[in-house]
Amino acid sequence: MSSRRSHSRHSNASRITEEQINELVSKLQMMLPDAPIRRNSRVSAKKVLQETCSYIRSLHQEVDDLSERLSELLASTETDSAEAAILRSLLMQ
Amino acid sequence: MASIPSSSSSPSPSQPKARKKPGQTTSPPPPPQTKWRTGTQERLYSRRLVDALQATRDRAQPPESVGSRAVKEAADSALAMTARGQSRWSRAILFNRNSCRKRVLVKAGGKIRRHRRKHQAIPPAMEGAGATSGVLKERKVKERLKKLGRIVPGCKKLPAATLLEEAADYVAALEMQVRTMRVLAEALSAAAVSVPEEEEMEIAEQGS
Repeated sequence: MSSRRSHSRHSNASRITEEQINELVSKLQMMLPDAPIRRNSRVSAKKVLQETCSYIRSLHQEVDDLSERLSELLASTETDSAEAAILRSLLMQ
Repeated sequence: MASIPSSSSSPSPSQPKARKKPGQTTSPPPPPQTKWRTGTQERLYSRRLVDALQATRDRAQPPESVGSRAVKEAADSALAMTARGQSRWSRAILFNRNSCRKRVLVKAGGKIRRHRRKHQAIPPAMEGAGATSGVLKERKVKERLKKLGRIVPGCKKLPAATLLEEAADYVAALEMQVRTMRVLAEALSAAAVSVPEEEEMEIAEQGS
């Protein structure tokens, strides 16, 4: 099955048109933070990829910062049950 | 088939597709932005995150307390599980956590193959189809694609279209992760400041 999959992927890949790629690239472009600004001008794929890389990196950085903050907060909470109760009630909205 | 180690099977109504064919792209999947921004996904993820964090804290030696790296790993694992193994990056995260065995990766059918270099060393289809696709042939675009493939977990050697899809999904998921973690951090820091019982009432009011 694995060889069949890779075969189909090759034949599928040859059918993937430029148009499809461009569509995916523009979809990615729309997800970037400054998408509304850029939407008018057609940004090159190169730029989109570069910005995606840096955006993902910055998201990773935010996750790291938040993780650190959360670990400090978790360390400072004393009672498990009270915190869990708060969190659960918060999330049950 | 993909053996996904998700313990809690909470049905998410926003994903009607069954997990039978993770590699198929024939039926159009919901676009990543909408998929990851539904309240359902956020609630699912936040619950998983809380559980994971609780578990991490219980597992950690009390004097050491939970490190930020453990929190991040728990968050990433929770995120990957919320993705229900439908994307390569999520499978890559989960399999990296549980076992580093390559045969697990191959069996998963998620095309995260580390051994099969000969298949993926050259992307022959891209070069062979060649004449029309102008954008892809530029060297810089390829470099950037490679860079992207390194950043998104489990996507080092994927064809361009798949990689772009995975990246879009990954970006949306990361955004959700950041949002949820921020909400959680705010809630915890607000709770830490004042008395727990009073805070609970206050938060319940704010939340509704």
